[in-house]
Amino acid sequence: MDHQPFFAALQRIYPKERLLTKGVQLLAYESDALTSFQTKPSAVVIPESQDEVIETVRLCHQFGVPYVARGSGTSLSGGSLPIENGIVIALNRLNRIKKLDPEQRIAVVEPGVVNLQISQAADRYNLYYAPDPSSQSVCTIGGNVAFNSGGAHCLKYGMTSNHILGLKVVLADGEVVEFGSESLEGVGVGPDLIGLFVGSEGLFGVALEITVRLLPKPELYRTVLAAYNDLETAGNAVAMVVASGLLPGAMEIMDRLSIKAAESAVDAGYPENAAALLIVELEGESEQVETEFEEIMDVIKESGSYEIRVAKDAEQRLRIWKGRKGAFSSVGRLSPDYVVQDGVVPRSHLGKALAEIDRLSQEYGLDVANVFHAGDGNLHPLILFNGREEGALEHAEELAGKILKMCVELGGSITGEHGVGMEKRNYMPAMFSEVDLETMKTIRRQVDPKEISNPGKMFPGGEAPALKMTGMHPLEAKGIISRE
Amino acid sequence: MQHRIDIKKYGPRGEAMAEAIQSCVHCGFCLAACPTYKVLGEEMDSPRGRIYLMKEVLEENLTVEEAQPYLDRCLGCIGCMPACPSGVRYDELIVSYRAFSEPKRKRSLMDNMARRMIAETLPYPNRFRAAVASGKVGKLFKGAMPEKLGAMMGLVPADLPEDKPLPPIYPAKGRRRARVALLSGCVQTVLNPDINWATVRVLSENGVETVIPQEQGCCGSIMMHIGEEERAKKLARQNLQVFVPDEVDAIITNAAGCGSGMKEYGLLFKGLSEEAEAEKFAEKVQDISVFLDSLGLKPPAELREPLTVVYQDACHLLHAQGIRSAPRNLLSSIPGLTLLELGDDGLCCGSAGTYNIEQPEIAHQLGQRKVQHVLNTGAQAVVSGNIGCLTQIQSHLANRGVSLPLYHTIELLDWAYRRKAQT
Amino acid sequence: MSLQPTTLEELQSIVKDNQGLLPIGGGTKPALSTAFNGATRLDMSRLSGIIEYEPGEYTFTAYAGTPVRTIVAALAEHGQYLPFDPPLIEQGATLGGVIAANTAGSGRYRYGGVRDFIIGVRFVDGQGQLVRGGGKVVKNAAGFDLPKFMVGSAGRFGAFVDVSFKVFPEPRAYVTLKAVFASLGPALEAIYSLFTAPNEMDVLDLESLDDGRFGLLMRLGGLSTALPGRVERLQAFLNTKTEVLSNEVIQAEADAALWQQVNGFSWVPDGSHFAKVPISPKRIPLLENVLLSLNPSRRYTAGGNVAWLAVSDIEQLDMLLNKLNLPGLVLFGPPGRPFIGPRPGVSLARRVKQALDPSGKFLEI
Ligand SMILES: Cc1cc2nc3c(=O)[nH]c(=O)nc-3n(C[C@H](O)[C@H](O)[C@H](O)COP(=O)(O)OP(=O)(O)OC[C@H]3O[C@@H](n4cnc5c(N)ncnc54)[C@H](O)[C@@H]3O)c2cc1C
Ligand code: SF4
Ligand code: SF4
Repeated sequence: MDHQPFFAALQRIYPKERLLTKGVQLLAYESDALTSFQTKPSAVVIPESQDEVIETVRLCHQFGVPYVARGSGTSLSGGSLPIENGIVIALNRLNRIKKLDPEQRIAVVEPGVVNLQISQAADRYNLYYAPDPSSQSVCTIGGNVAFNSGGAHCLKYGMTSNHILGLKVVLADGEVVEFGSESLEGVGVGPDLIGLFVGSEGLFGVALEITVRLLPKPELYRTVLAAYNDLETAGNAVAMVVASGLLPGAMEIMDRLSIKAAESAVDAGYPENAAALLIVELEGESEQVETEFEEIMDVIKESGSYEIRVAKDAEQRLRIWKGRKGAFSSVGRLSPDYVVQDGVVPRSHLGKALAEIDRLSQEYGLDVANVFHAGDGNLHPLILFNGREEGALEHAEELAGKILKMCVELGGSITGEHGVGMEKRNYMPAMFSEVDLETMKTIRRQVDPKEISNPGKMFPGGEAPALKMTGMHPLEAKGIISRE
Repeated sequence: MQHRIDIKKYGPRGEAMAEAIQSCVHCGFCLAACPTYKVLGEEMDSPRGRIYLMKEVLEENLTVEEAQPYLDRCLGCIGCMPACPSGVRYDELIVSYRAFSEPKRKRSLMDNMARRMIAETLPYPNRFRAAVASGKVGKLFKGAMPEKLGAMMGLVPADLPEDKPLPPIYPAKGRRRARVALLSGCVQTVLNPDINWATVRVLSENGVETVIPQEQGCCGSIMMHIGEEERAKKLARQNLQVFVPDEVDAIITNAAGCGSGMKEYGLLFKGLSEEAEAEKFAEKVQDISVFLDSLGLKPPAELREPLTVVYQDACHLLHAQGIRSAPRNLLSSIPGLTLLELGDDGLCCGSAGTYNIEQPEIAHQLGQRKVQHVLNTGAQAVVSGNIGCLTQIQSHLANRGVSLPLYHTIELLDWAYRRKAQT
Repeated sequence: MSLQPTTLEELQSIVKDNQGLLPIGGGTKPALSTAFNGATRLDMSRLSGIIEYEPGEYTFTAYAGTPVRTIVAALAEHGQYLPFDPPLIEQGATLGGVIAANTAGSGRYRYGGVRDFIIGVRFVDGQGQLVRGGGKVVKNAAGFDLPKFMVGSAGRFGAFVDVSFKVFPEPRAYVTLKAVFASLGPALEAIYSLFTAPNEMDVLDLESLDDGRFGLLMRLGGLSTALPGRVERLQAFLNTKTEVLSNEVIQAEADAALWQQVNGFSWVPDGSHFAKVPISPKRIPLLENVLLSLNPSRRYTAGGNVAWLAVSDIEQLDMLLNKLNLPGLVLFGPPGRPFIGPRPGVSLARRVKQALDPSGKFLEI
């Protein structure tokens, strides 16, 4: 395609410092946090206003140029991987908190605002923004919206989608729509468009303005660390806590490898030699938490833990969480490469799933570190491999695929929070029928008739132009077919 | 992150660079901690982006020249390291990369001359003093790169304080608790010799004898920082010869950059005959604040008047050496002193060696940011463990028409002890 | 005309063969469930029953025609519940109807409404195809979140076959505190200060009383041993931080009865038109102002975030809402126009309608 007129039009919107086209600049954008995929975009634009984003999307639609919106590029599934011959719309400078109203407990923010910054801004009103992906110090609200991101503390109050009240978006064909409100009820009347947009992985358009709800900061936390001699017992402990009828704010498990990695990254003070560690945190009003704490301690004492520690103060609590939240990246200390999976299993099958992962790990001769949101059955197996060895990535991917299939067979999902992106698109048919997928695609085409908004993601097969990993369709490479 | 770097090509440091790149998982956690990313919001100007670009250069997919603008913008503040869960040694990577890329890059004649002048003047107190005093600095530098040096010289006072050489040995008061060697430094001795004097006095008060090897020179950190590896080695060798690590409990420095630089001597001499010696030296290096804090401070006297200060973390203390609590402990032990926090996550003030000269715009924005935080606290004075930060903050305060006293941590302690002596 | 499928296959062929379909559950919300203008009633009540309920999982799957009453009873046996207090249970509301209308009672305040608990849906679209969205686990990010989209869809996009929900452990005990304020102003101020207070409440309702006074109803749920202390603390908070006139503690059966009434809408005068209006607390004074002339029975749930208004004439309310730019949903009222006031985002909804029901088997959105 001849991009010349398109670029000329972009140049009218952006000064040259904000329209990146040099090879070296584009290189820096060629991957997100999943580096096994790389695609160099044709350009990166850095808008500073909503209007610039709208204009850009309209041009893309007019010229049929694919685009991907990008926040901080921390997607673990290739969600923000650029599209070949497409552009990247980097939203990092749209980072204003436009309104923070403590009396109504809401904030209105631009998409490039970093998750944690909202909580920091709300802190002086004793409020916070609840969803806490481990990447919260860096990932953006726009990215969270696209992926419906979750975190350790989403057990009680839900994921991103449960905290978004209003959205202003530019759809892929340039129409700007607003829905939802400043009401806690969100959309409230008519189909829940927020529900539809949140988690759509950028396939409908770009979120320009986001109204989020804030919560009062829990008055008291009680954080318990319980060490186990094997993973399965820890998994069963989770089931026991769930069955007790208490509702912790977070319930996380780390296994031996991830404990080792985290401990070497931050001195988190985890019990040594544990094969599994359960972190349970109660949060809320102090009287309630204190009473729940007594009950939960009884449950944990019964659960076969050989060592139980309780965080004595805020600092100890933070250390525990710092270790947990840095766990993925700190696995980089154990192995140069890893793939993270994000499958979900019904909570009562946790023990079984973990045993199966262990078996697969041995069968494939690959180490798998487990660190996950146990409370909602959201596994995060990290499969370690050395990318410099021929075929190692493929071997690891195969194992990852087996784990995902197991999750689906147990009645779960292929992804709990990282999204399908590039990486898991080929597993979608394991979860959804052809009709289901076709229906989703039809919805997408109604919103994005030219399929320019983050194409190639979420749906199996490549509707997108070639990507390095899967390669171009041979016919496409010869110029016989085109999927644009 | 996978890479295809041909390690052998890059000499003894190839390993360190490849190691750093390999341990980076491209997670982006470091983005939030990087001052240039904060200001520019671009991937190329983030730690992750820089690591990626360095990888591309080392893999020979990109030329040194293409990547250079973005690597030049790196402050070397090392803010990214503590933020990195994967333990990427960005410090080793950037220093090694600069050493590798420096000879390969094309610099303008002016640039080269200026760098040479910096390299031949700054590390040598006598030359530096002479140059400033005789007004030659003006001439020397101005001819070469007027506007850039303007920025630098703006930080140098019109008249320098008198030279006050330190004795070879400064004895301990009372029972001797320890014996240390002091690196007297280069630029700082010229700009503010009192800091060294305050250091030896405070050490003495605390029963520490200080040896000041008279043949010592600049530690070479600035040279490492700007990629002048050979010059750095030459300077470091001199110090390896005159300091005797075995005979002292610590090698003390009161300049953040020197401390972190000397701790890297091992890397500087990697694969060379001095490696073992250099490592031994590096192990003994301690910032004055850490040394005093772990020794246990003799209680200072109460200040004449209560003073509220804000402590500014120098990047090369906080990020590069992980020194956070020691200076705070020392300051808090002074009765009458109230210590405030800046609350800006230790984001670099933009001073970073020659950064003011090379990247005036970013340096300016960072300086303004820092000063805004300082003013927000309402403190009466600013304290830091590094003279570079102090000068940077001073000049940005002046920009705003504000003047606040600025002190090195050790100066405040010295005050308190001297007050004790009076009472 | 009325059609009543008893199996999935029947449902699919009905959709293929008919036009102008309006799926109906318990018919408890007549403005939404009365067929009009020649529309065909698609009575879903025979597709009923719990398909899967594993208490240890805290999730269930049931046919959409299942009465919520049945679900609530099954959950209660295991100390579990749907925290959003689905209304009109006693009157026979079905799961499908609760989703399609997006109705949640006072319990919506703390943990969210229907959208926050639905996790999966299977529905027959306008082409008679069975489509699934979401899944059966509490957390799932695969594919578009069609289950959430269907909340509030008013039967315009397809007929639900079965749905999956997550549930929570029910608090073991409840207490309600009722506080009275001289007027709206101080009552709203009290809401604002409660919003940033550490006191946790399952319900925070605002109701208009006689003489221009307003009441705040705060329901606390939790462990019974902790409740008395929490109530005392809340009282102390109200006394020191707000202009409360008096307060009263409501416990045990009285508490249960109170909330059954509120969530059953038995306070709504017979024969009145009744609508739900999402609102933000700060806009309540505006709404109250324009409502003066109508003087409706009304109640604000979810900390002043949802208005429930009983008026004599929906047309008038429609006008007012348009003026205030507030969308509304009519539950009781004349058939045919459930949506009143402005309709933000409807163009996007229509695009989805095009995808799911291109030939208009179901009513227009
Ligand atoms: C170490 C590590 C830990 C993580 N932990 C968690 C975790 O605990 N829970 C979790 O859920 N995720 C986690 N993630 C994944 C990731 O951080 C989240 O998916 C996050 O939401 C991505 O945000 P981002 O700003 O980096 O978005 P990007 O990666 O830049 O983009 C992600 C997707 O969002 C789209 N997008 C971005 N902005 C917009 C917008 N304004 N409008 C429309 N689409 C947009 C992009 O096109 C892309 O598809 C982790 C990642 C890492 C590296
Ligand atoms: S935080 Fe560390 S591992 Fe992550 S991108 Fe930055 S340098 Fe790489
Ligand atoms: S050293 Fe400082 S400027 Fe350089 S990449 Fe790291 S944080 Fe950024």
